Amino acid sequence: MRVEYINPFVESAYSVLKEVLNCQVSRGELYLKSTCTPVLGVAALVGLAGDVEGRILFDMSKDTAIKVASVMNGEELKELDDLGKATITELANMITAQAVTKLHDLGFKFDLTPPAIFTGDNMEVTTAEVEALIVPMIIPYGKVEINVAIRERI
Amino acid sequence: MSSTMEKTIVREGDNKTLLMDQGSLPTKQLKQDFKMVTFSLGGKDYGIDIMKVKEIAKFNQFTYVPNTPPFVRGVYNLRGEIISIIDLRIFFHLPVEKRKDGVENGLILRLEDYIIGIIVDSIDKVVGIASEDIQPPHPIFGDINVKYISGVVEYNGTLYLILDVEKLFGKEQTAQKAPSLETLEVSLGAKPSVGVSPRESFPTGQTEKDFIRETLKTFKSFHVTPLNERWLDERFEQWRSERGKQGRDLQIKSAEEADEFLQTFYSPYSDAVWPEEIAESFLELIQELSGRVFSVWNPGCGKGYETYSVTALFLKKFPDAVVKVWAMDNDLLAISTAPNLLFQPETIPSYLLPYTVKGKQGVGITTQLKDRIFFEYHDILHVNVVPECDLIVARDLLSFLSPADQAKVLDEFYDKLKPKGILILGKNEEPIDGIKWVRIPNKHFSAFRKNIE
Amino acid sequence: MKTKMDFPAINDRRPEGLKEDGTPYRVLIVDDSMFVTKQIGQILTSEGFEIAGIASDGQEAIDKYKELYPNVDLVTMDITMPKMDGVTALEKIMEFDKNAKVVMISALGKQDLVKKSLLLGAKNYIVKPLDRKKVLERIVMSLKK
Repeated sequence: MRVEYINPFVESAYSVLKEVLNCQVSRGELYLKSTCTPVLGVAALVGLAGDVEGRILFDMSKDTAIKVASVMNGEELKELDDLGKATITELANMITAQAVTKLHDLGFKFDLTPPAIFTGDNMEVTTAEVEALIVPMIIPYGKVEINVAIRERI
Repeated sequence: MSSTMEKTIVREGDNKTLLMDQGSLPTKQLKQDFKMVTFSLGGKDYGIDIMKVKEIAKFNQFTYVPNTPPFVRGVYNLRGEIISIIDLRIFFHLPVEKRKDGVENGLILRLEDYIIGIIVDSIDKVVGIASEDIQPPHPIFGDINVKYISGVVEYNGTLYLILDVEKLFGKEQTAQKAPSLETLEVSLGAKPSVGVSPRESFPTGQTEKDFIRETLKTFKSFHVTPLNERWLDERFEQWRSERGKQGRDLQIKSAEEADEFLQTFYSPYSDAVWPEEIAESFLELIQELSGRVFSVWNPGCGKGYETYSVTALFLKKFPDAVVKVWAMDNDLLAISTAPNLLFQPETIPSYLLPYTVKGKQGVGITTQLKDRIFFEYHDILHVNVVPECDLIVARDLLSFLSPADQAKVLDEFYDKLKPKGILILGKNEEPIDGIKWVRIPNKHFSAFRKNIE
Repeated sequence: MKTKMDFPAINDRRPEGLKEDGTPYRVLIVDDSMFVTKQIGQILTSEGFEIAGIASDGQEAIDKYKELYPNVDLVTMDITMPKMDGVTALEKIMEFDKNAKVVMISALGKQDLVKKSLLLGAKNYIVKPLDRKKVLERIVMSLKK
C-alpha cells in the first residue's frame, strides 16, 4: 500500500474511536497480510473507489461489537441486533470517511461506497489480488482490526 | 541385572493391565515377549526396549563439559561411573520446558559399547506387549527422523514410538550430529544475541562452512544458495585466514559477528545516493532500453536513495519519456520516510540536482520527480501488482529470503520483465537458474537479461 | 400569552425545538443508518423538536418531503446513501421548494462536497461524529436563516 495512505487511516481510526467511545485507545504494530481474511465474528466493510480500488474491513469479535454498540448508544445491548449492526456500520463509515477526507486534502481522490456488515463464524473475505495492511486498535472492549486493501488503478 | 532393574523401576505394567485391555485378543495375553519403558518427549509417547534400560533416574546435577555438541548436557556421576547425559529434546529439536527445581527426568541406557543417560519430559511406565504387534514405522508418526524409530505399537489406546537407541547413539552417529543453531535457539529458549555457541570442533572445513551458513541464517536471515554461493566461498576463505591471523575462533557467535562477516556482501551505495561513477555505469546499462513509457520495479528500496537515483538517471537518459517507478519495502519505518527524504547538499550528484529543492530542514526532492514514484509498504512474497517492467532493481534482496522464496521471486521477476528488460541484483548475487538469464557486463552492477534466443 | 419568555430564570429556558408559538419544529431525518437516525432523533426530541419523518435514501427523502410539505421545517441530510446520494436529493428538494431548509450531516468532510452543498442551497454542513451541542447549535442557526 502506498505509504501516503497509511497515516490517514491510522489517525482516523484513533481519532474517531477516541471521540465516539471516550476511552483509552492504543494501536498495535502495523503489518501486512495476504488477504485471505478470517473474520473474528463481525466484519464491517466499506468500499473504496476513485483513484484507487479496494476496501476497508473492520474486524472484531461479536462480544467487542456488542460492547462498542452499547457504549455508542448509551444503553446496554444484549445482542447484536439491527440497531447494534447499524451502529458498528456507522463506526466503520465514520473512520473511513475521515480518512478519505484527509487523503482528499493530500491530493488523493478517493470515494467511499455505503458500508455493509457481515456476521458469522469462520467467515473468509477474500479480495482477489491485493495485499492488506493491518492496523490493530486496542480498546478496553477488545481488539478491532482494521484491514485495508487498496490497489492503484494503473 | 534384571533384579537391579526391577528394583529401580517405578511402576510395572503387568499382565493384569493387559487382561483389562478390552481391545486385545485372547492370544496376546500370553505372548508378552517385549517390554519397554515408556516416556513422553515433546508431547508424544515413546518406548525403549527394557533390555537397553539400566535404570530410571532423576538427574539434578550435571557437570557441563565444553567442546561438546549442545545436546550433551554434561556428565553425571552414576555411583562412581561417569556417563554422558544427552537431552533428547535438544537432540530432536523439540521444545524444552525449563524445570523449576532443576531436576530432569531421565533414563540410563546400557548400549552395546557404553552407558549413556538421556533426558526426557517424563517417564511413564513399563509396558509389556507382543513383539508381533509392533508395526514398522511410518514417517508421519514422529517429530523425529523415522530412521531412529524401530517400530510403533499401540497399547491401551496410546500409540508408542519405539526408539532405536543403538542407531541413535551408536559411536559413528554422535560425532556428526549438528542440530542447526536456530532450532537450538528455539529449544533452549535463548535469543540469538546471547552468544549461544555450538562450540563443537569439526574435523573438516566443509562443516565449518556449513556452520557459518547456519549462523548467517539464524542471526541475519541470510540464506546461502547458488544465488550468492560464489561470494560465500571466497569470503569464507578470507574470513578463515583473517581469523586465523587474529587468533580468533572461526565461528560466528553473535549478530555483530554475522554483520562483520557480511560486510563484503552488500552492494555499494545501498543506503546512499549514487555518486557519478556508479551513475555512469547505470546509464551505460539502460542505454539499450527503448520506448516512450518506462516502468521500473524497485523492491527492497529501503529509505529510497536508490529509487531517487534510478529515477533521476532515467530522466537524464530519456528526457522525453514517461517514467513510473514502483518502489517498495517491508520495513515500515524505512519506507515511510522515503517520500520525504532529505539530502545533505554536499552529497548531491549533478544528475539529481535539477530535482532538488531547499527546505527548512534540508534539501528535499521536487514533486516533479516524486510524482513518478509510488512508494509502497509491501511484502514481496504477497501478490505483486506491477505492470510489465523495463527494469527491475532488486539489490541485496533475494539473499534475505528463504531458498524457496528466492526461486519464487526470481521466477516472478522473469515473468514481469519485458523481453528486453534488465534485472539488477546485488553486487554479489546472480540468478539461481543460470540458464534463464544472461549476464550483462558492467563495471558496477550485477545485471542480467532474459536468455531469449 | 406565555410569559415564560419574559422572565427567563437560570434553569428555565425555552427548548430550542419549540417555535415562538410553542409548537415544535418538524424535522425530516434522512440517513441510511438506523443508529444515526436514532441518535439525531434523540438529540432533537430532547430539545422539543418533533420528528416529522425518516427517510433512508435520497429518493425516499424527496418523496417524503413532498408528502410532508408544507409541514416540514427542516431536513437533516446524510450524503453517502444507496439509490440516490444526499447531494442529488438536496438539489431536487431545493428545486421543489426554494425555501427548504436542509442541513447536511455526513461523515465525509471533503472541501468540495461542503462547497457544492452550500452552493446548492444547504444551510449548514455538520461532520460526524455527532456532538449534541454542535448539532443543536447548527440546526437552530439554520432555522433562523
